[in-house]
Amino acid sequence: MKGLLLKDFYMTVKYCRTYLLIGIVFIAVSFAGADSQNMFFVFYPCLLCGMIPVNLLAYDERSRWLEYSGTLPYTKAQLVSAKYLVGVIVQGVMLLAVGIAQAVRMNLAGSFRLGEYGMMMALIFAMATITSSISLPFMFRWGVEKGRIAYYCMIGFVCAAGYLGSVFFTESRKVTAAGSLVPWAMILLGTAIYAASWLVSIALYQKREVA
Amino acid sequence: MNALEMKNVTKRFPGFQLENMNLTLPSGCVMGLIGENGAGKSTNIRLILDMLHSDSGSITILGRDSRENPRLTKEEVGVVLDEIGLPECLNTRQVGKVMAGSFRHWNQEEYDRIIKRFQLPEDKAFKTFSRGMKMKLGIAVAMSHGAKLLLLDEPTGGLDPVVRDEVVEMFSDFTRQEDHSILISSHIVSDLEKLCDYIAFLHKGKLLLCEEKDQLLAEYGMLHCPAEALEELDPGAVLCRKTTPYGAQAIVRRESAPPGLKLSPLSIEELFVFMVKEER
Repeated sequence: MKGLLLKDFYMTVKYCRTYLLIGIVFIAVSFAGADSQNMFFVFYPCLLCGMIPVNLLAYDERSRWLEYSGTLPYTKAQLVSAKYLVGVIVQGVMLLAVGIAQAVRMNLAGSFRLGEYGMMMALIFAMATITSSISLPFMFRWGVEKGRIAYYCMIGFVCAAGYLGSVFFTESRKVTAAGSLVPWAMILLGTAIYAASWLVSIALYQKREVA
Repeated sequence: MNALEMKNVTKRFPGFQLENMNLTLPSGCVMGLIGENGAGKSTNIRLILDMLHSDSGSITILGRDSRENPRLTKEEVGVVLDEIGLPECLNTRQVGKVMAGSFRHWNQEEYDRIIKRFQLPEDKAFKTFSRGMKMKLGIAVAMSHGAKLLLLDEPTGGLDPVVRDEVVEMFSDFTRQEDHSILISSHIVSDLEKLCDYIAFLHKGKLLLCEEKDQLLAEYGMLHCPAEALEELDPGAVLCRKTTPYGAQAIVRRESAPPGLKLSPLSIEELFVFMVKEER
């Protein structure tokens, strides 16, 4: 498994560094606009990171790695799991960066309220996990070419979710009190969808003949 | 112990099927799988690796059922596919690190030695490699993790004759250890003739023959004679034939041929071409 993660790390650095750069720029922009109501710049970096495992899978298919990996001592479950773990790592890092930046921003502006902050982070988490959860099972089962429809749906989802997330957050912050169960429900929902997608991908990839 | 056993393995695709494959590769031996493009050589190797799921039959690798513990089996099997599917952005050093994290018995020194021997650059991306260089890197990976069985699918494709000779020599060195075996597919028959103990002919998904190479060459001979003379021979002695307006050529079983009949030595390539044309 270490080898698979290392390979995906090299590929992420090579192919997806633009995503990380965009993420940093967006965090900086969201940080600069201290009291801005538009949260798009806060949500978007994490949603973008959700696309990294999907892109890595597309590169794997193009280089015929999916076939080659069948000769290596890995089970299909491990090959699938590597992509989901990459998703957890990159989204986790970006969520952390966004979380720190927003906590600092809110504190500097004197507007930090735990309930509001928790709501925002839970919403970002839920949307970011759903991004890759939608398309990965399709791609593991039918390949990138046929799974492209799901990919386009996901891109649409990313854009729409970035916008809707910001609107929803702006509305919900008015009613959300600290200690509300809504953020926990969102975290639970995001985790459940990601876990379900992971298991479905393993089951689908077991059936696929990659040769 | 046999390194590899395939018993009645069948795989059906729309428009093609691999039928009742029965192969036995004894430990310490090299078997060459010869066939035209599309004969089923690559399918066969992918079935052994369980990359394709057979419809029926059983496959045993190094004494274990191929589906029993695929991870352990693949630790002991070195594979070179006809396309080396390494990530395009990785260089040879990074490939070494990825493989070190993948194989329990990865031998970095051996890998470095082969990379040096093949004169592969350490810091250039895989996508900049020629087909021959890619193949060399694939061979380096396959031979650096203590494999006992090599499954090689057209490993000499794209290599120039000098490197091809060097690679064949490396494979030959590999089998000096008595528990090391190779199954190699190719349509460059001359490479296989140098290397193999056993020869298997595949044609349109069917195994035409599978025999020890020396026995095969001793058993059959090439007859050049007028067409009428060929007709007088016992049909059971003639494996396959070709008649032209200038005469006839036939591959004849030596022990069934009439005494005194002059048969010239046969090459594996001639035998294969004759048999395939006869099948057509």
